[in-house]
Amino acid sequence: MTLFHFFNCAILTFGPHAVYYSATPLSEYDTLGTSVKAAVVYLATALVKLVCLATFLQVSETEVFDPYQEALKAMIGFIDVAGLYFALAQLTHRNISQNHKFQAVGLGWAFADSVLHRLAPLWVGARGLEFTWDYVLQGLEANANLVFTISLAALGSLMWLRKNKPKTLIPIIYTCAVIIATMPSITSYLRRVMGWHFPKVVGFELMTSLVMAFISCQLFILCQRPSL
Amino acid sequence: MAEEKNSKQRHHRSMLLDSMYPVVALMLVLVACVELCDAATVVDVYRLIQYDISGVPFGSRFSSLNHHAASLSFQHGADLSRSVLILPLRELDIAFVQDYISQKQSLGGLLILLPQTFRPGYIGGGETQDGLRVLLAQLEKLLLHSNIPFPVYFAFENEETDAMLADVKKNDALGQQATATTGGYKLVISVSEPRKIASPTITNIQGWLPGSRADGDSNQLPTIAVVASYDTFGAAPALSVGSDSNGSGVVALLEVARLFSTLYSNPKTRGRYNLLFALTSGGPYNYEGTQKWLKSLDQRMRESIDYAICLNSVGSWDNELLVHVSKPPENAYIKQIFEGFSNVAEDLGFQVSLKHKKINISNSRVAWEHEQFSRLRVTAATVSELLTPPELLESAGSLSDTRQHVNEDSIIKGVKLVAESLARHIYGHQGKDIQIFADNSSLAVNRFYVKSWLDSLSQTPRVAPFLSKNEPLIMALKKELEDYTAEVSIQQESLDGIFTFYDSTKASLNIYQVASVTFDLLLLLVLGSYLIMLFSFLVITTRGLDDLISIFRRPPSRKIKIA
Repeated sequence: MTLFHFFNCAILTFGPHAVYYSATPLSEYDTLGTSVKAAVVYLATALVKLVCLATFLQVSETEVFDPYQEALKAMIGFIDVAGLYFALAQLTHRNISQNHKFQAVGLGWAFADSVLHRLAPLWVGARGLEFTWDYVLQGLEANANLVFTISLAALGSLMWLRKNKPKTLIPIIYTCAVIIATMPSITSYLRRVMGWHFPKVVGFELMTSLVMAFISCQLFILCQRPSL
Repeated sequence: MAEEKNSKQRHHRSMLLDSMYPVVALMLVLVACVELCDAATVVDVYRLIQYDISGVPFGSRFSSLNHHAASLSFQHGADLSRSVLILPLRELDIAFVQDYISQKQSLGGLLILLPQTFRPGYIGGGETQDGLRVLLAQLEKLLLHSNIPFPVYFAFENEETDAMLADVKKNDALGQQATATTGGYKLVISVSEPRKIASPTITNIQGWLPGSRADGDSNQLPTIAVVASYDTFGAAPALSVGSDSNGSGVVALLEVARLFSTLYSNPKTRGRYNLLFALTSGGPYNYEGTQKWLKSLDQRMRESIDYAICLNSVGSWDNELLVHVSKPPENAYIKQIFEGFSNVAEDLGFQVSLKHKKINISNSRVAWEHEQFSRLRVTAATVSELLTPPELLESAGSLSDTRQHVNEDSIIKGVKLVAESLARHIYGHQGKDIQIFADNSSLAVNRFYVKSWLDSLSQTPRVAPFLSKNEPLIMALKKELEDYTAEVSIQQESLDGIFTFYDSTKASLNIYQVASVTFDLLLLLVLGSYLIMLFSFLVITTRGLDDLISIFRRPPSRKIKIA
């Protein structure tokens, strides 16, 4: 029975990635290679981030919100953005349209993130007899993360791959990108300082992800018009 | 230049690979960890003893447990064979338990919750009501003498068990089964099946304090023996601390030994008697240890024993202490001993009474320790607060025999009685109004010594088959006697005879809150529909509605086209 729960949480955590891949035209254009490359870049980025965190961060015993430490963590979070830039701009992909490139990269990135951060706790924890809502919430978080990553990839591709953008939209693009990139810091702030419990935080993440996705979708469409 | 760069790159790559190894190893370890501590609550539980007498089984015959929790408020006629019944002592109904056991109704397990005041080493105040103690004694008697085909465990109440029990009661009253996150509890104790203890050992410790021989006297000095049995027997062997039976006797013996060692250390005050102190084991089992010890003594030594005083439960009496004998009271030796006791008792302000119980040779039951001496023709008496001889396996350290109900003053009075009467006999001051171990003298009974040994013994379970050969308790008692006597020897025998014991006395209970299968199925349904909706949504937004419909419609068959 507990393996059942593990199975449930696993399909909640990893199912949407597979569904996204098969539902959108990504599967038709066979962009699996791109996703795999993006996943590998994510792994490398994660390692670099870990090394930086270990070097520069002090481990505090209590769950105190230290602004300096959080700022440092946010800065290290920008390594994520750098990695995404590398995956989008520097890697050579097969000739796929920009539209699909950012989706494939975002998908690969988010999948690697889910596997690295959520598979191990799921395997160890969800198979026990004790029932907690934690793993279901974690799966929902993975879903929100997927949407965030794809939005960030979209904005990233707008920033780095598209040359002619309407001037007015550029600051909006950059602000949205910054908001999404600092999402981890925002959630940790909410959890520690405001004392929000996990379900509330996950709900907030889901809502923000939908809002962000909508905004980045609109921006993408707006930016597409001039080049048409 | 390029080669340097290449080698550097290779070096970096190998370093990266090297740093990946611990990550990989960690992942493997994580994967291999099948069972981590993931229970909400872990509670220490103590199993009911399992033993056979001549092959007849008694006690709880099973040890592992993996069932749902149920409480007394279950619906009538509910099937409890796959549930563990949780019974707090306060709400226990002996008749109910008796019915359950005698009618051999199947039950997954029984968990009895005892108030914290029964925990060995409980320091907090709060007198346990006598009603609870009596109830516990009754329950113990019932459980000890029944053959129970399911595991029975004792645990102490704490906040988590209280919360769990309240939840379980609420759900049982509503007739609900375990639902998702509300009230479904699973109790798991995973231990191996109990095995017979191969050859349980009983360890007797004796200390020999020689007297001083007058010059030119070549006769063997007479000996006086002081004996107490230190092991216990109770419903839960891991909780059998037996503060009164017979922790009080052991403490009294140690204090008497200490006092006489002080006296005997100076050759001028050494008496013309040898003193033999013995801490025997195997008490609850017809004093088998005492018998073996006596038989192992040198014949001459045994014949030189003038008389022996056995101490059994001297910790909770007020005004009257009893001296039990097996030789008729008219016997000269008995008269002498009893007169000595009553004189001292009069001086100290309490009463001693003589009780005579004949030994029935054909009956193997040995009720008092002195009977083992009498069977080998050594004069002996037992000093005890108990009025009647205890039944087999009773009054040997039950769950209700805790430190709180033992009074140091009673033990001190007992020590004074024994020490003074022995000293008056040894030094020939019978009938005189002399107090050798007077208070505030250098030979006063040390209250702190008594208290500290009593406290320490009240936290040490001492069921003989579960004591190893080098148990710290035995080593401590040996060392203590070594301090006070000249020669200490340990005798280790195996406990044969009609008793067989099984191990597994202590375990950890894991309490899990579980969700039912229906919840998992429901969740699967919800997730399945979510993924299908997500799929449809994505197909519609990226490829158009027609594509979605075309996925589900079968391609038109050739036949129709041709036709």
